[in-house]
Amino acid sequence: MSDISLPRLQHIVASALVALVGGWVTYLSYTQQPSEAFLFPRLISTVFLVLALWTFFKACLGWTKVGVGISGQAFLRMLPGLAIAVVYVFWAAKGLGFYTATAITFFILFSLYDPAPHNALRSWIKRIIGTAAFTAVMYALFAVLLKVYTPREIFF
Amino acid sequence: MKKLLAGAALAVMTLTGGAVLAEESYPERPLMLMVSYGAGGATDFQARIVTMTSGNEDALGMPIAILNKPGAGGRVGWNWLADQADADGYTLGAYNVPHFIAQSIKGGVSYGVDSFEPIANWGADPAVLVVGADSEFNTLQDVVDFATANPGKLTTSGAGLFVGHHIAALQMEKAGDFKMAYIPTKGGGAAAMKAVIAGEVLAGINNLSDAFRAREAGNVKILAVADLERNEFLPDVPTMKEAGLDVDNASVNFRGIMVPKGTPQPIIDKLAATVPTMFENGRVQGKMKAGGSPMHIMTREEVLAMWQKRQETLSELLAGL
Amino acid sequence: MEFIFYFGDVFTPINFGLLLIGTIGGLILGATPGLSPTMAVALLIPFTFQLEATQGLILLGAAYTSTVAGGAVSAILLKIPGAPANIATTLDGHTMAQNGQGTKALQLSFLSSAIGGIFGVMLLIFLTPVLAKWALAFGPSHLFWLAILGVTVIGTLDSKSVVKGLLSGCIGLWLATIGFDDIMGAQRFIFHDALGGGINIIAALIGLFAIPQVISMFAKGRQDEGAEVLEVQKHSILDAFRELLRFPRAMGIGMATGSIIGLIPGVGGQIAGLVAYDQTKKFSPDTEKFGKGHPEGVIAAEAANNAMVGPSLVPLLTLSIPGSPTAAVLLGGLLIHGIFPGSDLFDNHPDVAWTFINSMLIGQVLMCLFGLYVAGLAARVAQVPQSLMAAVVLGLAVFGSYSVQSSMGDVYVMAALGIMMYFLERFGFSAAPLVLGLILGPIAESNFIQGSMIANATDGMVPYFLTGGLNIFLIVVVVVSVAYSGWMELRSRRFVSKEELMV
Repeated sequence: MSDISLPRLQHIVASALVALVGGWVTYLSYTQQPSEAFLFPRLISTVFLVLALWTFFKACLGWTKVGVGISGQAFLRMLPGLAIAVVYVFWAAKGLGFYTATAITFFILFSLYDPAPHNALRSWIKRIIGTAAFTAVMYALFAVLLKVYTPREIFF
Repeated sequence: MKKLLAGAALAVMTLTGGAVLAEESYPERPLMLMVSYGAGGATDFQARIVTMTSGNEDALGMPIAILNKPGAGGRVGWNWLADQADADGYTLGAYNVPHFIAQSIKGGVSYGVDSFEPIANWGADPAVLVVGADSEFNTLQDVVDFATANPGKLTTSGAGLFVGHHIAALQMEKAGDFKMAYIPTKGGGAAAMKAVIAGEVLAGINNLSDAFRAREAGNVKILAVADLERNEFLPDVPTMKEAGLDVDNASVNFRGIMVPKGTPQPIIDKLAATVPTMFENGRVQGKMKAGGSPMHIMTREEVLAMWQKRQETLSELLAGL
Repeated sequence: MEFIFYFGDVFTPINFGLLLIGTIGGLILGATPGLSPTMAVALLIPFTFQLEATQGLILLGAAYTSTVAGGAVSAILLKIPGAPANIATTLDGHTMAQNGQGTKALQLSFLSSAIGGIFGVMLLIFLTPVLAKWALAFGPSHLFWLAILGVTVIGTLDSKSVVKGLLSGCIGLWLATIGFDDIMGAQRFIFHDALGGGINIIAALIGLFAIPQVISMFAKGRQDEGAEVLEVQKHSILDAFRELLRFPRAMGIGMATGSIIGLIPGVGGQIAGLVAYDQTKKFSPDTEKFGKGHPEGVIAAEAANNAMVGPSLVPLLTLSIPGSPTAAVLLGGLLIHGIFPGSDLFDNHPDVAWTFINSMLIGQVLMCLFGLYVAGLAARVAQVPQSLMAAVVLGLAVFGSYSVQSSMGDVYVMAALGIMMYFLERFGFSAAPLVLGLILGPIAESNFIQGSMIANATDGMVPYFLTGGLNIFLIVVVVVSVAYSGWMELRSRRFVSKEELMV
């Protein structure tokens, strides 16, 4: 099977996952009660499963345009950013308060992916100003103008 | 830093049972009123009016922001209030009786009358029976006769299952010993009213305030009110009882403010003392009247009694379902 | 022609000032992710407590028209549709902005918004009594078929393969069933507390469109300094006009679709943009160019969005039935002042009614002028470096999805859907059909259930769903649409094999 390219292999895995979700959803909709409320989900999930299996077989047989896939390099590049974003959304935003978490995440992400050199004072000043400005705009827009009460926790 | 220290101090005070301090300065920041129906619905509209003077010095001194959590006839919002909302006195909820009580009796939700503490009631909107302006039905008796002659054929729209409209339909069926086809609509009273006006259904049960407006626009006839007395907005429309069906006021849609169980007692007391006077404000009364929304102010004690009474009536009514 | 007599009222200093505030404020609110027109109008209601009826309605009317147009700004510049109405605008608009044609995209979007919007309001002024009858003609069975028609569009919308488009649509339809079912109140697929209220459509939109883009920016890594800075092309307003005149078909389809769909209560403007986009694509000789930054896509979508505004108010103003959530909020704005829509409004308060409608006309023009003025400046957003942009969009997505219902659950749903969508997009799935499924699912389901309840109580399922002129017409359109999709799939197959032969 050495002739299977990386995108194609990924494609098989991805469509298998989608088909698994489809199977699971179909199973749930036919077993959950009350059955009248699951009439529509049954219909949808059946079509979902059929289409997902079709896609899966097409992927296995290589009958389909593959999409771009993800190269290993790109994956490594996005991993730190994705990890920080996940921590921010699922924990920090609530745990530290929206504005604190946003400022910290913004600063880290901006510094991490900023092409400007990491050893020059100027670029660090730029990053700090950028972070402060963004947090201030968010505060003005959401807290002052729209009066949305976001989780605050320790600071503002 | 000052805020940080104050926060820490507050935390310590609360831990050591010093909720008194928090109560004295309550409320320190804007409050949030969760409405379990969408923006623009009758409950949302009225909630926005009755809370508009909350920022005044003689009321709470802090504004109340409305937060809509619509879905599944109110279940989504009330579940959220019972399970996830902070019981710190800053999260209030709007209740609709009989809706939330009927839903809790029917099951599948995580709340009941004991999950919430009422603060005060602001309005009472009875259910009314409406038919299209060109309908052949002119009295409640015509409708009853049709339903008796054609069991299960009288299509009647209402805002959902186990809401006031549905309760009224069940009571009508029980009192007149006939069967009708109750059609719950998604999208609340407005969608149910549209079904009546467009002739998709033969009759509808709807809020008095919405029906009053639709009648003013010349679209519907209102045949009866499901309440104990005639309503000041509709002095010419008989009650169900007067028109021959023994239906009481169990379906009247009471709207008011409550907080989740666990909210500190001093805060409940403070709210229960202030909120009814806020409802009595002249500007609030004027706007409510202009919008065709009947007001009915009740204190915490009266609401507690009303909840208990509804719990009993509805348990009995829904037992057979 | 009565409306002309009330034009003067719009231009009194206070009224005109409010109109300006409403328009510019509306544009800003509309461009903020997470704020749909409904929420923006609801936020403004408390201000109208202090105003007279006419003034309050001017503010609300101007805000309604301009939030719909404002949603296009974030759709084009950030690929975050401000509301479901703007989904179709992202497809070509954002691609144009990435190619440095942001100015042109914004100009076209504002111009077609204004023209579509004025057309819609004109319909409201002249044809209200006729349209009101039409609006009522759509019962549950028709709405069900209409939703099914929308589903058939899914396969051909922004997707390289019909099967994957349909599969994306199915995922969306399934996601829509999560939460409490609306009629029975049964719990379906609630695996986590955050899903108790179902998937909020605005939060889902932000996640599905914005997050994959953030992750793609991460995947590009630290780009070297001095790497090409995108040149934002200048584009004169006059050229934008000429461009618009080159595509009368897109404009016409957009306006027609928008005003018809806007009229139908319960469907609202959510799908007007997408349906118009799809139709324009099918009728265009340049089908291949769609999705790659083709002006026709932006024109059709935005003309439809704003053409929907006027007709969507017909059921409210004539029958006192709010046909969309936004109309329901506007109803509140009228009721506070003791004005009941319906004959009462036009007979006893013609000044209020016509000033309100006129303010929407003038509001369209102001919105367009202001939008054109800032378009050149706003398009520079495309020049912002990737590193900064990723962080900004992520922050906006979190704040935007939280502010919809002040709920952390929506933020989690937004992020989870977004990450999933990034990986799916790598393999040829796309977000637009998924969102269309998410919107259409509940419409199809509730109307089917309601229709079958009525049918069972009256003449039975078959006559109720399958007979009657409007039902048959809609079914024919559904069949044609499916056949067209099948034909497209076959044609694209042949296309591929020809290419393969050439290789």
